[in-house]
Amino acid sequence: MDWSLLFQSYGAVFTNLQVIIMTFIGALGGVLLGAIPGMTATMGVALLIPFSYGMDLIPSIGLLLGIYCGGMYGGSISAILIHAPGTPSAAATLIDGYPMTQKGQAGKALSVAMFASFCGGIIGALIMTFLSPLVAKVAMKFTSAEMLMLAFFGLSVIVAISGKSIAKGLISAFFGLLLCTVGLDPTYSVKRYIFGMKPLLSGFSFIPTLIGLFAISEVIAGVERIITGEETQMTSHEKITNVLPDRHTIRQIWPNILSGGIIGTFIGAIPGAGGDIAVFVSYGFNKSFSKHPEKWGTGIPNGVAATESANNGCSGGAMIPLLSLGVPGDAVTAVLLGAFIMKGIQPGPMMYVDELPTVYRVFAALMLANLAMLVVGCLGVRGFAKIVSVEKKMLYPIILVVSLLGAFSINKSVFDVGVCVLFGVIGWLMNKYEFPLSPILLALILGPMCEQNFVRFVDLNSGNFWAILSHPIAVGFFAVSVGTIIFSIFNQKKINRIEAANRARENG
Amino acid sequence: MQKTKTKAFANLVISVLLLAFEIWAYFQAAGFRQVKGAYVQASTFPQIMDIGMMIFTIVLLVQSLIKVFGHMKPTDPDAEAAPSMNPIKNKGVAAALFVILLCVLYTLLFDKLGYVLVSAIVSIVIMWLIGKRKPVTVILVSVLVPLVMWIVFYKLLTVNIPMGVLQPLRDLIDRI
Repeated sequence: MDWSLLFQSYGAVFTNLQVIIMTFIGALGGVLLGAIPGMTATMGVALLIPFSYGMDLIPSIGLLLGIYCGGMYGGSISAILIHAPGTPSAAATLIDGYPMTQKGQAGKALSVAMFASFCGGIIGALIMTFLSPLVAKVAMKFTSAEMLMLAFFGLSVIVAISGKSIAKGLISAFFGLLLCTVGLDPTYSVKRYIFGMKPLLSGFSFIPTLIGLFAISEVIAGVERIITGEETQMTSHEKITNVLPDRHTIRQIWPNILSGGIIGTFIGAIPGAGGDIAVFVSYGFNKSFSKHPEKWGTGIPNGVAATESANNGCSGGAMIPLLSLGVPGDAVTAVLLGAFIMKGIQPGPMMYVDELPTVYRVFAALMLANLAMLVVGCLGVRGFAKIVSVEKKMLYPIILVVSLLGAFSINKSVFDVGVCVLFGVIGWLMNKYEFPLSPILLALILGPMCEQNFVRFVDLNSGNFWAILSHPIAVGFFAVSVGTIIFSIFNQKKINRIEAANRARENG
Repeated sequence: MQKTKTKAFANLVISVLLLAFEIWAYFQAAGFRQVKGAYVQASTFPQIMDIGMMIFTIVLLVQSLIKVFGHMKPTDPDAEAAPSMNPIKNKGVAAALFVILLCVLYTLLFDKLGYVLVSAIVSIVIMWLIGKRKPVTVILVSVLVPLVMWIVFYKLLTVNIPMGVLQPLRDLIDRI
């Protein structure tokens, strides 16, 4: 590694006022966009690309990376405050973030999310800087066998996030996997479960489904609670003296931040696997190895830290295959690839030879984008936390109309609004009868990847599925997945035992 | 408490309903077009997932049967009362069903009335339903929130949102 060139590039980026301003604008826009349910970082980057036409490469990349990092954190704001993840990558943040808000710790949850996002982003940027050629080499060895087993590994986390009943969690997961098969079959374009509805040809859109399951169901349940008198008005009496978590909290969450950042970076480096998968893997991993797994899901900062560091770690990870192989790691980097090409630069192995200063400046821009996100987050955290003080009787209708607009805006389709409502009802019923929603979400993310790679692998091996045994990485993933499932089952039994003992003690 | 009012009994009923759904989904998948010479048919993956769902539904069914017809400890979480779904006895459920009905109407009228108007109407009705009785606040919030959201999406994000009968408002904004 050319250290002097690396430092020179960092210096050039951190002293260029235009780059700094653009990155801060991007981070602010990203945080605001990410906080609106339905608006993703991908959408933000795509929307702002036209504005970067006239700029030099690094300011425009700074702007786009600012949106990317800001959007990743912004998604957690609505997940924590109103139970509606702003972006798919924030879907796991609500598992602990929202209960923290219900306990009156919205400000603490937001500051932990911001701090973890920043640390995860820095971990990702550092790993990207030093290990990018090596990680890219490993990730690019993945064939359909490894991708299939990676998806299986992701799904194995479901047991850890199933809650009290593993059977109900797995029913939810298989229901989600079944939902993924609605629409045209990806290989032969055979129509499946569409019942003559043309918009269903491409299946259920992910974002409207997500908004329905988490936001609309919460509105319906909230109205029900208000009428029965079970809803209590939350007020943010919490005094936010420090916008960053205190020393005690940092000591408590740093292992989760570190592992989340590393998991996020490595998953982000695998093309096709992004923040949405990384957050669940990180959450499951951290919960499984926690001394008190029974506390996960009840509103602890560790859960927020594990997921938020993972999704921001992904931003660095996703840049690895983009820069070193010209292969985007996720949807946002696919749009960034377009931005590079627009500027006449072709990412790939030759970029490390011909455009090394540019590569290092991109590394520096990512670091700056994370710093910008931290500053914007620090300035906004007090204001964001006040949202919970808004009277619930006004907040629920507002969430409803904003969420339904988010569902519409993805494909500009009224059908998606209907899908959102349908999944809102499904989510409400599932919550009522204690079927966990998170496994459905994970299944919706991993289902298409699972099916496509399963079909591709079996076809390439003339119907012989057992040929997978000749792929050591895939076998390794399988072994880890089985280990995760067994470990999670024992863990859940331990949690149930502790809860039963607590209940017996309470009953006298 | 009567066992028919417990969560265990509710789980039993739900697992029977789920099994019926899964059997239906399995036979629907069996009817998908077959592709000659393909190692994996379009129906293979959905059927595998359906069978997976069926296995765990049967697990839930057996667990519930044991609890309902056998011995269930009073500390068992499934011995608690199941949530009511009767809108006549439970006003909360009636209100939730009314909100669902409003959401369905919202979807049907979204194109015709436009986002701002339909959102304002639905917001006012829900706020009134859940006991917000300050007409000025209710109307202001219900109108301003969708209007601001529409302006943000239309002008800043260039997403075209239906305005329905309020189309002249868009022309006005365009002129400004």
